[in-house]
Amino acid sequence: MKRIFVDYKKCLACKACETACAIEHHPGHSLLAALGDQKTQVNVRVLGIEHEAFPLSCRHCEPAECLNACPSGAITCDPETGAVLLNPALCKACAMCAMVCPFDAISFKHTHRAPYDRDVAYKCDLCNDRIKEGGTPACVEACHSGALIYAEYDATRTNRATKSLRTYLLGVEGMPPLLELFRELRRKEFARRSGGV
Amino acid sequence: MRVVTVGTGMAAAEFVQRLRLDGFDGEIVMCSDEDFAPYSPCVIPFYLAGEPLETVYWKGKDFYDQYRVTARLGDSVVEVDAERRLVRTAAGRSETYDRLFYATGARSWYPRPDWLETTGVFGFKTLTDMVAIDRYVREQGITKAVVFGGGFIGVDAALALWHRGLEITLVHRNTRLLSQMTDEDGGQFATRKLAEKTGINIRLKTTVEEISASNGQLASVRFSDGSSMETAMLIVSIGVSPNSEPLRGDDKGVPSDPQMLADAGIYTAGDVAVTRHAVTGASGIYATYPNAMQQARIAARHLLHNDGAFSGSVNTNVLKKHIDFPIVSAGSFSGEAVTWQDGDIWRRVYLQDGKINGYIIIGDTRMSGYIYQLYLSRKRVDQTILKTLSAPRHDSYYRSMLGLGGSAMAMA
Repeated sequence: MKRIFVDYKKCLACKACETACAIEHHPGHSLLAALGDQKTQVNVRVLGIEHEAFPLSCRHCEPAECLNACPSGAITCDPETGAVLLNPALCKACAMCAMVCPFDAISFKHTHRAPYDRDVAYKCDLCNDRIKEGGTPACVEACHSGALIYAEYDATRTNRATKSLRTYLLGVEGMPPLLELFRELRRKEFARRSGGV
Repeated sequence: MRVVTVGTGMAAAEFVQRLRLDGFDGEIVMCSDEDFAPYSPCVIPFYLAGEPLETVYWKGKDFYDQYRVTARLGDSVVEVDAERRLVRTAAGRSETYDRLFYATGARSWYPRPDWLETTGVFGFKTLTDMVAIDRYVREQGITKAVVFGGGFIGVDAALALWHRGLEITLVHRNTRLLSQMTDEDGGQFATRKLAEKTGINIRLKTTVEEISASNGQLASVRFSDGSSMETAMLIVSIGVSPNSEPLRGDDKGVPSDPQMLADAGIYTAGDVAVTRHAVTGASGIYATYPNAMQQARIAARHLLHNDGAFSGSVNTNVLKKHIDFPIVSAGSFSGEAVTWQDGDIWRRVYLQDGKINGYIIIGDTRMSGYIYQLYLSRKRVDQTILKTLSAPRHDSYYRSMLGLGGSAMAMA
């Protein structure tokens, strides 16, 4: 089974992943429809941490703490893809899942998929429909710098996976020279803005 | 082998599902005093708030068929005869077993059981309660209600009926709502914010002393401060007691060992089971779904494979239903308090020997999973915890993983 891995040093914080995710999960399937729509659902969030950036989303743990904590049967695991899925029709937004998620990967909102007039939990669905048809998740497809990679997942890492993000981080092999330059500039800019040298 | 469950609640349903998914082919009988497929008590208040009844059956309405279960419903088990390996019901039936799974949960505790004879007075614990309340509200056109008891269930009841559009008065004996899952400061903050956000009339340090009826229907309630209120509906939710009498002869719960055995051939789990706390080691009833689920899985695994041990319960809980204002807590509220507040968000961690002893997070679920993992991991966090609580982007975990800022220690 495959998972989304992160080579965060290659993340340019361009947010193409966020945009692609929003379009993929919007009923209008277009940027124009998703823009400015309060119900737009974005399952990946680019977190800026000092001079680094990190695309944050559900890691589809096995076993998944959120699934084990959900008292409404809303969270299931697709045995074919390993995707941990959240069914908004059963979700009561009780937050038991968010209370135990080590990755802060579950949020609440009145999305387009919320069937009742209130918020539901939402999270990354690994673009399960796409990957079942042999495709890749929308965020990975949109990432031009190689920071997001959809790759085979080593089952021996599984046990640690629920507890540690490290499992999902990739090395910095093959960092293109221009990217190194970009990182250097970003580091300096961050230092300048935060009053450092 | 013949397996009998006393109870069809979440623990029993998880146990039976695990047995079947793991290949158990013997006969399974499930007994309950109610008439429903296994349902989720966490979900049932949403039925009152107007959401479909079907969503309460969290493992499917066809559970008994799907898992080849003989269901003995609408007849409560009154006695477990461990010597002869059988259970007896109120209607005089008996079921023999090779293995018993005793997960009867808890029931509402009423200060005045006679109040329930008055039309318009309800408990708030079972699907039977919810169906009765829903029908009463619809048929009588109820627009206001008094909820007596401001613990988890009472607040859940008040919010569900508020969600439905009723005018609610919530009466609570303590100085704050949710007194078990909060400390004084956190509880008062949560109480104030809930009142602001919902308009629910919260009356603290008050109890319902007496009720009066007219033609058998509730007409008004009298409070401990002497005042009265006209109302045709009263929810009594001041506490629960475990249904342990048929097995133990008292209502103090069912002590269990790490295999979830209460006695030879008798497993227990869920809101009736006395277990040890995973962090403190203290024995108690830790009545939340994740505990019940883990306990049921341990029991099923032990029954089939004779291995596995329960690592202990955790008293973590969250109330975020019907309103986007979560209240999360775990552990015990003693030690050195580290507090951070900003607007609607209030966070406090109690430290002992530098480790998290307990925590309360109000107004926002962000970072609550990270704090939960720090709590369970028993790592020292005293140098970093304030920075973690106050991090405006809730990025402490990611910072630590990226080796930036050192605002929090990495988890193993």
